Amino acid sequence: MASSGNKNINSKLVLLGDSGAGKSSLVLRFVKGQFIEFQESTIGAAFFSQTVAVNDTTVKFEIWDTAGQERYHSLAPMYYRGAAAAVIVYDITNQESFERAKNWVRELQAQGNSNTVMALAGNKADLIDARKVPEEATQTYAQENGLFFMETSAKTATNVNELFYEIAKRLPRLQPAPNPSGMVLVDNQSPSERAASASCCS
Amino acid sequence: MYGGTHGKIDLAIEYQAQIPILRPSIRARRANITVKFQDLYGFTVEGNVDDVNVLNEVREKVREQGRVWWSLEASKGVNWYLQTQSSTTLKFSVLVNGITLKRLIRKGIPPSLRPKVWFSLSGAAKKKSTVPESYYKDLTSAVQDKVTPATKQIDHDLPRTFPGHPWLDTPEGHATLRRVLVGYSFRDSDVGYCQGLNYVAALLLLVMKTEEDAFWMLAVLLEDVLVNDCYTNNLSGCHVEQRVFKDLLTKKCPRIAAHLEAMEFDVSLVCTEWFLCLFSKSLPSETTLRVWDVLFYEGAKALFNVALAIFKMNEEELLMAHHIGDVINIIQRTTHHLFDPDELLTVAFDKIGFMTTTTISKERKKQEPAVLAELDQRLRRLNSVNEDDK
Ligand SMILES: Nc1nc2c(ncn2[C@@H]2O[C@H](COP(=O)(O)OP(=O)(O)OP(=O)(O)O)[C@@H](O)[C@H]2O)c(=O)[nH]1
Ligand SMILES: [Mg+2]
Repeated sequence: MASSGNKNINSKLVLLGDSGAGKSSLVLRFVKGQFIEFQESTIGAAFFSQTVAVNDTTVKFEIWDTAGQERYHSLAPMYYRGAAAAVIVYDITNQESFERAKNWVRELQAQGNSNTVMALAGNKADLIDARKVPEEATQTYAQENGLFFMETSAKTATNVNELFYEIAKRLPRLQPAPNPSGMVLVDNQSPSERAASASCCS
Repeated sequence: MYGGTHGKIDLAIEYQAQIPILRPSIRARRANITVKFQDLYGFTVEGNVDDVNVLNEVREKVREQGRVWWSLEASKGVNWYLQTQSSTTLKFSVLVNGITLKRLIRKGIPPSLRPKVWFSLSGAAKKKSTVPESYYKDLTSAVQDKVTPATKQIDHDLPRTFPGHPWLDTPEGHATLRRVLVGYSFRDSDVGYCQGLNYVAALLLLVMKTEEDAFWMLAVLLEDVLVNDCYTNNLSGCHVEQRVFKDLLTKKCPRIAAHLEAMEFDVSLVCTEWFLCLFSKSLPSETTLRVWDVLFYEGAKALFNVALAIFKMNEEELLMAHHIGDVINIIQRTTHHLFDPDELLTVAFDKIGFMTTTTISKERKKQEPAVLAELDQRLRRLNSVNEDDK
């Protein structure tokens, strides 16, 4: 398995979270390396793709960036169905957005697909002075719920590539087999180096 | 700000942007160079030289259409198209005018006549005439300081609605759009505010020039033209349209439908935005407005024709696609570059074939119970999930 050379896998990833939490901004940062102060509000969902290299495997994320307004909730299943990964985004300066993030976690957990890698992203980490959601408590919450948690900033790029890289690493198909034949995930390269070239389709 | 006067938006002339006249002989070889320019409605467009040339041709066609409309006014009288609406008279001339008008509208209403023609043919004028003259002024001044979930979301979305547009993205543009959206959110509290309406209202403002007329166009659109509950609560109307559309795709484009289904590609993934923003986020502005010309005269079925056409135009390429990303790529590349409205509308109305409003209504009736049941079931499951956790 370890010596099988380069592998390519496609992974469906969905972003969920309150309107204005920064889902589109995170995707734009990850896919194009840009940040736009006034990002158009997303209607329905937008699609992007981007690849990440983990050791000898190239993970191509097929990303669905969904709309955040409450009433769009009824469209969400179409986007998260069959997703290998879900990033639930909230805004650290907005307590309400964190409450909604928890609802998303509950909803996804109730889908019963334990293979889905779930990440929680506390975005707008650059706005530290306006913080409303404490980091430690969230960390505890994340641990209790088996989520991978990071605070991010789409604006400053902090932890954005790292977030997607960590998700890629956790995909079941990249995990060592139960009886590993020598495959170890060595992390000797910085995550940002690994986020390979963009291949956006917008 | 233009305060309480609710006068005309003075924007058109200023930014009736000039599309650069390029000399094709020199530039043709560099057709893959992208240029940025402003279109007829002030939107920044990125395209190659071919796109610019297409847009120049479109402008010429728009001018020609203008001449056709003016000469009809000269021969038939200024408001000749209004007579086609009076259903009580079954005069031959009325019938003829009706057929002429339908054909004419599919070829496009000249931008200068759009406000007037839309306002009367859509039913907006009639709607407005049933309330006191001061309705809009009273409504907007009564609610301007109120804070509701809808107004909060509206305020959040104002700078996120076509950011960078030379008029919309100014304090005056924001304030005007806000009055229209907030006003409507109080007129119909079931709708309140739904994201997507910001784009629709913004484009209506650019066309209608007067905010009050834009407001009435929005009202007639939501209350009479589109499917019920398109923007309310759980978007049930939008779910209905998606299902109707899938059925139509199977009927009208069976090969594409079968291919996409085999790929497990749900067309709603791309169509939802079309039906909620009425193509305003996907198609170039003049093309969108040409779709709306038909929408306001023939009704919401026009949206199905156009959506089907976008798939139909790409049939061969879509049949060769095997990844979701490729399908979306094909669709987006097409929609973003549809600078020639006739290219789209010819397919939509000549090649797709005839669909009556009655057929569509029947289809909707058929789908409605299933949609409501599904949404209801989902809601109950969600509630029980959240209950369990407490
Ligand atoms: N300071 C700061 N602002 C951010 C950050 N990320 C996003 N924003 C701002 O927050 C606003 C909303 O961001 P979006 O990315 O559009 O939010 P969204 O979650 O996609 O919202 P919807 O599409 O409405 O669901 C934008 O105007 C951004 O400028 C961040 O990391 N830091
Ligand atoms: Mg967004």
